[in-house]
Amino acid sequence: MLAAAFADFMQQIVAGLASGGIYALLALALVIIHRSTGVINFAQGEMATLSTYIAWTLIANHGWSYWPAFFATLGLSFLGGVATHRIVIRPVERGNLLRIVIVTIGLLIAINGFVIWQWSGEPQQLDSPFTSIFGWLDIPDTVDIGGVAISMRDVGTVAVALGMVVLLWGLFQFTKVGLALRASAVNPEEARLVGVRVTWMLALGWGLAATLGAVAGMLTAPTVGLDPNLMQALLIYAFAAAVLGGIDSPFGAVVGGLLLGVMLNVLSFLSQYRLFDWFTEELRLPTALVIILVVLLVRPAGLLGHPEVKRV
Amino acid sequence: MRRHPALVVLAVAAVLALAALPGALAGSSADPGVTATTILIGGTSPLTGPAAAYASVARGAKAYFDSVNATGGAAKRKIEYKIVDDGYNPAQTVQAVRRLVEQDDVFAVFNTLGTEHNLAIRPYLNQNKVPQLFVASGATTWGRDAAEFPWTIGFQPSYQAEGLVYGQYIAKTKKGAKIAVLFQNDSYGKDLLVGLKAGLGRSSSKVIAAEPYEVTAPDVGSQIAKLKASGANVLAIFATPTFAIQAYVFANRLGWRPLVINNGVSGTANIMLIASEGGKNKVVEGTITSSILKDPTDPRWKNDPGMRRYRSILAKYANGANVNDIYHVYGMAAAFETVGLFKRLGANATRARLMVLARSVTSAGNPFLLPGISVKTGKGDNFPIQQGQLQRWTKGRWVPFGGLWTSKRN
Amino acid sequence: MSPRVTRIVGFVAFAAFAVFVAVLPAFINDFKAQQYAYVGIYLIALLGLNILTGYTGQISLGHGAFMAVGGYTTAILMAGNEPSIACSSCDGPIGGGMKDIWTIPIAGLVAGLVGIAFGLPALRLSGLYLALATFAIAVALPPFVKRFEELTGGGSGINLFGLPEHTGSITNLEIFGRSLTFNDWLYYLSWVVALVAFAGAWLALRGRTGRAFRAVRDSETAAVSSGVSLARYKTLAYGISAAYAGVAGGLYAIANTFVNPDTFPIALSIFLLIGVVVGGLGGLTGLVFGAIFIYFLPLWAQGEDLGSLLPNRIIEETQKPGGPAIVYGVILILLMFVIPNGVGGLFRRVGQLLTSRRYSRSAK
Repeated sequence: MLAAAFADFMQQIVAGLASGGIYALLALALVIIHRSTGVINFAQGEMATLSTYIAWTLIANHGWSYWPAFFATLGLSFLGGVATHRIVIRPVERGNLLRIVIVTIGLLIAINGFVIWQWSGEPQQLDSPFTSIFGWLDIPDTVDIGGVAISMRDVGTVAVALGMVVLLWGLFQFTKVGLALRASAVNPEEARLVGVRVTWMLALGWGLAATLGAVAGMLTAPTVGLDPNLMQALLIYAFAAAVLGGIDSPFGAVVGGLLLGVMLNVLSFLSQYRLFDWFTEELRLPTALVIILVVLLVRPAGLLGHPEVKRV
Repeated sequence: MRRHPALVVLAVAAVLALAALPGALAGSSADPGVTATTILIGGTSPLTGPAAAYASVARGAKAYFDSVNATGGAAKRKIEYKIVDDGYNPAQTVQAVRRLVEQDDVFAVFNTLGTEHNLAIRPYLNQNKVPQLFVASGATTWGRDAAEFPWTIGFQPSYQAEGLVYGQYIAKTKKGAKIAVLFQNDSYGKDLLVGLKAGLGRSSSKVIAAEPYEVTAPDVGSQIAKLKASGANVLAIFATPTFAIQAYVFANRLGWRPLVINNGVSGTANIMLIASEGGKNKVVEGTITSSILKDPTDPRWKNDPGMRRYRSILAKYANGANVNDIYHVYGMAAAFETVGLFKRLGANATRARLMVLARSVTSAGNPFLLPGISVKTGKGDNFPIQQGQLQRWTKGRWVPFGGLWTSKRN
Repeated sequence: MSPRVTRIVGFVAFAAFAVFVAVLPAFINDFKAQQYAYVGIYLIALLGLNILTGYTGQISLGHGAFMAVGGYTTAILMAGNEPSIACSSCDGPIGGGMKDIWTIPIAGLVAGLVGIAFGLPALRLSGLYLALATFAIAVALPPFVKRFEELTGGGSGINLFGLPEHTGSITNLEIFGRSLTFNDWLYYLSWVVALVAFAGAWLALRGRTGRAFRAVRDSETAAVSSGVSLARYKTLAYGISAAYAGVAGGLYAIANTFVNPDTFPIALSIFLLIGVVVGGLGGLTGLVFGAIFIYFLPLWAQGEDLGSLLPNRIIEETQKPGGPAIVYGVILILLMFVIPNGVGGLFRRVGQLLTSRRYSRSAK
């Protein structure tokens, strides 16, 4: 009896990690943009959706096979991110914070409209990259451990998220480009003085984030379905994850995402017991947001971020 | 204040006047929206927003009206159908419908989609005596409260009636079944659940777990895990397409193969095909659903004259639309009945007469509904369609079984 | 121009505007009156948000939540919060219905208190973090509302149409010997409140309070060093702006005759912020344009009113679902490029240009 309850509990944790992996990927994109350009990009989710649709349309409407479409999408997303920065963001990034916010909101509205305009609102189907990988490596789709079913696809998603973090960390810590990126975000004027092409660094940041968003979309859509609202529900959870883990920490984004997914599912599991029965499904989203609020009030830098010291 | 506020005031006046100009007083006639040669109807549709998948309903209806216009219209009147986007937000629906009635002077409001949305506008339309025709929602209230709201009439069978059928089916064919339900946390999902429980009645089969989800949920993995943990052997999916697909995907991941009952809104062939994940997801096999429409992907209707007409209308008047999207068929079915009403309207075209006709329909030949399903209203019968067909998903297609069911709700 | 002359010109302009607003309904059709009523409602909300964001420099992406508080307060008070056709799941503590106009100041008060309650912890946040926090509140509120069904009517909301407490929906209002249609009544109600709110904002902002707000916006460190209490003025700004939004929300509920959790989505908060930025932060008159912008542009993007001015081919393409959103988003971005300080800023520039020429002339 207790063993069964424990297995159910672990299943919820596993499901939480699975959802959390998805939050983590999109949160990574948000963190990269913030870290490299200091902007919160409200259009991040829609850009990721657009990338996913591009992958889908290459496969479904133009007959490409999966992997060429996957990499083409990554490339196109990178270019799209760079272009977006140069055309849309650069004219306003020096000014008022509000102007940038409004511009990213305008992007959100326009891109979401474009996706519906071009491809309509019906649900579509996109294959997972893991399907062929597991095929080659002969890995089963689901593994059962002590009554808990673990989907290898979800494991793959979390692995990709962690892998991205490691790559990014390596980029930021050990390469000249990474250093230039960080310098441009923190102190553009001084970075220029030492010869960093700041504008291109900022554009690079956007390109990287767009590529991450594309990965997030292409890994998420096979599970939750592809439609124009793919990222809208996720965006808020991704914000929560990014804030929880630290808005400037890529590793924090992943940790935040996984933690958030698990926390919400644990609450959901516990809601069958009297102490927690106030937690109903309506409160899932607000709880994530209350987490944002509490973290922002108590420790704005998040779990893994560096607290900002304000000097007067 | 600012330096030259007078200028500002003048500018404001100019802009307001400009915005006011195009909306100059519209001419009024006996009953608005209808002339000897035209009828203007309007409705809202979720063209954008979370329910954008249902925009096809309005698109299908419009294509049908266009095809009728091409052959002279209904009783020599061309039908103009104005579709307004409400983004699935009832506040937008209210404002849009008021615009349709007060600015565009429509004859009737047609096929507005969404339960809350139609509830929000129902008192207004009834107060202003504007027909709220063939509401695209399965709430029971459209038929049940017809006495109080005589200008409103529904179209499809109520969700409760549909749930009832599923409950009765399980009670009869699967003794001692343990049923887990995933339902959308609004009146649509809750109505289906209420109907299911009523249909089970006092049989040995019971609903042992029911998990709601919000439309803002990114995924229903947690709910499916809980439902599986309940030990049920039947899963009822009372969810909209995106979440229904997820339910199948997650159940499969967990290695759970219950008997699945999928509600009609999501029980369409194109959704089932997506859920079957290219054939790898076996949970879909044996799914039961109820339908009233002919499915465009069903080979049974390949040479069916009604579906041939459907395909040609869509190709000609809705270029680029996905033929396999069954929501187009729904729109056309409703449009077909509306054209029937308009044909009978004749010279005396008033809104009151339209409602009289709508409440005395006997139409058995709707080419888009399954054969045998009739559209009927009359004294004491305020639900136009009260029948459906149960079908089972077998090897990639829907196969009907049993005869048509009939709901006795009046 | 001396400050006194400026002020007199200001009064005259305001009076002229008030007269204009009063007589406009005689020249436009009934439905347009309803549309301008909504413009008035948005103006009230924008006035509030402007005090917070334009004058005090605190970003709020969640002002729709304050409107929701006001809107639901009004609806709950009017419906009397008992199970009824207005609200089938209501079963709350407040009984009896209240006439709609009396609910408006209460809506403002309740929202104002909520604003202050939010303002206190928000003192610790700034810039992007504040934007995120307010965004979080705006998104979290509708599900919360849905959860507490007995008070708020849950997902189905509260329907106010036809309630005896709701003026004008069933029978025309008889006042001063004239019969007002529902739309005209909405128009006058909204604009009377809007003009009062406008005057109120102007009065509040021109004195010490306004200067304190602007000090907080321009440099918090400098403000503190000059003895301006950050806590006091930020909280005050939240309270006032939330109260304004609450009043707007109450009027919105009355105008829509209906509230449910989806009536005040995050999109509303975003539109309000857009309205303030487009209208021109920190000024008051530009906000009228901001309100017109957020109400009419989505309609114009859908081809309403202006559709006849554009060739058919373009209309067809932009009317496909999603098209209007593309138009709206692109226009928004372009506006941020072209008039970064909003319409109010544009007028200030024009004003400066005109007066500076005069000075250079007199310098000759």
